[in-house]
Amino acid sequence: MTHKNFIQKRWTVHQRVFFFLIIAVLILGTLNTAKARGWLLPELRSWAVTKNVIQLDSLTLEQKIAQMVIVHGGVWNLDAWRNLQVGGIHLFALEKEKLYVDTITQFQQGMTIPFFVSVDLEGCQNPFALFYNSTSASDIFTVEDALMKGERDGAYLNQLGINLNYAPVVDLGDEIWRCRSFPGNEKNVSVLAASYIKGLQGEQVIATAKHYPGKTLVVHDPHKNLVVASIDRSDIYPYSYLFQESNVSAVMVSHLIVSGEVSSEGKPSVVSSSLVGSVKEKFKGLIISDEINMLGLKNFYKTKEEMYIAVFKAGNDLVLDFNEDPNEVYHMISVVSDAVRLGLIPAAQIDLSVRKILTAKGFSVQ
Amino acid sequence: MVSMRVWVIVNVSLGFVAILLLLNLFEIRLPSLGKAQYLLDKEEPLCAVQWKEDFNIWNDLDQCCLQARQQFTCDTSVQIFALKRFDKDCHTGQGNVIHYWLNNKAYRYCQQQVIWKG
Repeated sequence: MTHKNFIQKRWTVHQRVFFFLIIAVLILGTLNTAKARGWLLPELRSWAVTKNVIQLDSLTLEQKIAQMVIVHGGVWNLDAWRNLQVGGIHLFALEKEKLYVDTITQFQQGMTIPFFVSVDLEGCQNPFALFYNSTSASDIFTVEDALMKGERDGAYLNQLGINLNYAPVVDLGDEIWRCRSFPGNEKNVSVLAASYIKGLQGEQVIATAKHYPGKTLVVHDPHKNLVVASIDRSDIYPYSYLFQESNVSAVMVSHLIVSGEVSSEGKPSVVSSSLVGSVKEKFKGLIISDEINMLGLKNFYKTKEEMYIAVFKAGNDLVLDFNEDPNEVYHMISVVSDAVRLGLIPAAQIDLSVRKILTAKGFSVQ
Repeated sequence: MVSMRVWVIVNVSLGFVAILLLLNLFEIRLPSLGKAQYLLDKEEPLCAVQWKEDFNIWNDLDQCCLQARQQFTCDTSVQIFALKRFDKDCHTGQGNVIHYWLNNKAYRYCQQQVIWKG
């Protein structure tokens, strides 16, 4: 029996098709997994850091944009986020303290530029509620208690390796939760928030006053994704107070379309260059966008690419993008990089944001 | 010896899987069962926030999805508030913790969001 005859006898058409399909499924399955894990993304080159000094010009534009992004730090995307060298990871609730420590260690290990590691420990939101008690902001009435809460929360976050907290909430009139903001009028809220910030930042954790310019804790029209709110002087007061009287390091801008004391000129606040620009005039710290995958923001644009460009163009230093797909986050970085190259976003503005970020991470930037 | 019918069934199934994998690789999205359920469900999506005994409707569904996603777990549990039924309780721990309640329609909506996958 020749070899050819042997093959013909042993392999029927169905068997050959089966063999071909199995190979195809294995290859496609591997490619899908690799893509989902972000293994097909290009690895950005390593940073040049000498004695804690970074030369800004040594970074590629993509590296600069990536530093401006904070993603959800799911361990399934560990390799992707490390390869992309994004600016930070945000952590949701986990079952055990050790899981936080292990996750953060895995992310930070060997990174030349460490990630910002952020959480939402604010008001009555406590991602550590399974093992750490934190008094809700609504139960804090004195500056001493606010300071103590800030110090305690800060020490705990620092111990876990978390260096950025999206707190305190300084919006007034909490009609929905009734526990996220400090009690009292705008003056009480401001003084208590300043004290909390002092305590938190004293433990090397960046505090974030949110959500500029206010009115995010009130009931909105249920049938609208694009929410319009009228801002009055009392809404702005906590921010003006904190910018002057405290050393708050960050402020978060909301998606509300606002008019009144502050105007976003018919756009969501986070993409309003005039609104973000006016904050920059008064405040030299980090300006952080609220999470960008919200209909209130997305519905305002025909394409997501337009939205990406608008968010960066407005002047936000850090952009929260919790999209679980690393390919999409990389797409955003590419789109924004191209927009800078085309002159749609000033390169100097990006440099200023990256300088602020790296300085906040403890580097000297040249 | 495997019969021809079995080979045909196996090969057609594998072919189907290969097509799905190919479509997924090139990000050609097919309507999912979850999406179909969401569209067929004529109920209004609802989210509510519970802190201690206080229970309030929250109309910003996208933000509600984000907050619910940040919780440790979403349990199936029925709660009636203001004559409306809620089916999922998203929370972290017990006691004085914040609870985000969603009805099935809202929960299905949240699961389809890019922040929920993973």
